Amino acid sequence: MNLVWKLLRQHISIGQLVGFFFANLLGMLIVLLSLQFYSDIKPAFSQEDSFIKNDYLVVSKSISALGGFGGATQTFSESEISDIKAQSFCEEVGAFTASQYHVYTAFGMGASPAFGTDMFFESVPQSFVDVKSDLWHFEPDKGIVPIVLPRSYLAIYNFGFAPSQSLPKITEDVAGMVEITIIMRGNGLEERVKGRVVGFSNRLNTILAPEEFVSWSNARFAPNEDSSPTRLIVQVKNPADESIMKYFGDKGYDIADDKLDAGKTMFFLRVVSIIVMCIGLLISALSFYILMLSIYLLVQKNTQKLQNLLLIGYSPARVGLPYQLLTIGMNAVVFVMALLLLMIVRNYYLDMLWSVFPDMDTADILPAVLLGVALFVVVSILNIVAVHRKVIAIWENRI
Amino acid sequence: MNKIIIENALPNVFAHRTDITSDIWQAKAFFERGHLYLVEANSGTGKSSMCSYIIGYRHDYSGRILFDSDDIRQYGTGKWVELRQKSLSHVFQELRLFPELTAMENVLIKNNLTGFKDMKQIDEWFDALGIGDKKEQKIGKMSFGQQQRVAMIRALVQPFDFILADEPISHLDETNSRIMAEIMMTEAKKQGAGVIVTSIGKHMDLPYEKILKL
Repeated sequence: MNLVWKLLRQHISIGQLVGFFFANLLGMLIVLLSLQFYSDIKPAFSQEDSFIKNDYLVVSKSISALGGFGGATQTFSESEISDIKAQSFCEEVGAFTASQYHVYTAFGMGASPAFGTDMFFESVPQSFVDVKSDLWHFEPDKGIVPIVLPRSYLAIYNFGFAPSQSLPKITEDVAGMVEITIIMRGNGLEERVKGRVVGFSNRLNTILAPEEFVSWSNARFAPNEDSSPTRLIVQVKNPADESIMKYFGDKGYDIADDKLDAGKTMFFLRVVSIIVMCIGLLISALSFYILMLSIYLLVQKNTQKLQNLLLIGYSPARVGLPYQLLTIGMNAVVFVMALLLLMIVRNYYLDMLWSVFPDMDTADILPAVLLGVALFVVVSILNIVAVHRKVIAIWENRI
Repeated sequence: MNKIIIENALPNVFAHRTDITSDIWQAKAFFERGHLYLVEANSGTGKSSMCSYIIGYRHDYSGRILFDSDDIRQYGTGKWVELRQKSLSHVFQELRLFPELTAMENVLIKNNLTGFKDMKQIDEWFDALGIGDKKEQKIGKMSFGQQQRVAMIRALVQPFDFILADEPISHLDETNSRIMAEIMMTEAKKQGAGVIVTSIGKHMDLPYEKILKL
């Protein structure tokens, strides 16, 4: 055995080191777990639609039982729309335009359609849609209609419809390859066009098609129908602006404000995660003090030995090394254990999360690993410096 | 390193004293490589201080101490480590052995650092000094006289230009002190080193070339 180590391990307090070990493990685990949990759950609340501008609200008029039967109009008039446009929070207003004719759609791959359904389309002005313009485009001659479906439809199909009909589950990528035949009837005409799913939306509860297509088909199959919008898409400057809620509340309009709810949830989640992380850091810091006190005590008790080693020609670096390796070793074990525990706990809670948010994207574990590495490096460097300073103090005869 | 020069030096604790008559303090003394010196001192005249200054352990003195032409105050940690490994060997009066280690381990902890001697040589020294059967004994269980011999062996397992033996034989009988002196002088001659022995009374019986009074 290394004689220097044999000498310097005298007076090592196993109890103190065990105390440090568990305290540090707990601290690091809490820090890493809070970060990991936050990044894992974040996508569930903040999934954004890549193809549509972000700060928008979908506004509709409230449907009441009386209004529904009494013929009160659900549509927005020109003056109502221009009033919204005039509000200070408003950046841009677009109308949802619905198809006014009969649509039947058959889904399937290859020749035989798997199932079909009556359907409708809505469109919003081109400027709200962020899909690459070559995809979000319709020309009557070429005849392929790009479609954006609510993501919940995919879940309904995968978890509701497909198992009951012994159909395969499909992913979003596969959904893009499904052949869709759209049969449009009206105005004494019947025509077929092909469609393709180009995206899924969490926030738009509609079947979205390009504005070009809806206005072309409305003109063709329902030239005389009124196509006043029932829903508006409003791009706002700041979704947290209180006047938005007030204005729409006064007017009796409904806002699909899941964005606002998710924002609040995220805010709470972030605050809680930061508090938990701070507690973890505090425990880590305290455990670091335990270790430092333990090492200082050890150095103090072994001062004579350290001094003698220095006097017979050992360098301060060489004399401090065993204690530095001891602390680095412990930090490394703590780091590895914390990561292992993190993964175990994560697997446990991910199962729960997936059962609640089946289509949730999982976050990478890399940021937590990097944070762990950063903690390990910082704590180890502090340990190394502290031990070195202590040994130098002995060298300079200050202890 | 060929020469240690002590120039007008005085330990700070003696700064207020006016009655210093010494060959070393407030004087110019030097030790040269390849020569043998005895520093005789009464208790409390700063003998251990002198050794501490030369080994770089303490610096609480006025005046100058030079190694060749270098003022040793300018030496940094690295230089002192190098000197203690390669140029200066010291048999401490208080021995500074490690009681938790065995006699052999106390020697090896130094030899592992320098890699200077082989086991055969070390074994021979243990045998010659009459502690061949004590190699595996913990230092804490050995008498002071036995410990002094281990300390001397430890001082010899390194290259040196000077060896400082601070009262190396205070607890040894005549035979053992003679053997120890022989071993030390043989090794010092082999290395061409200077030898500085200190004593407050009983001292190694050696042909000193110069005797300095502290």
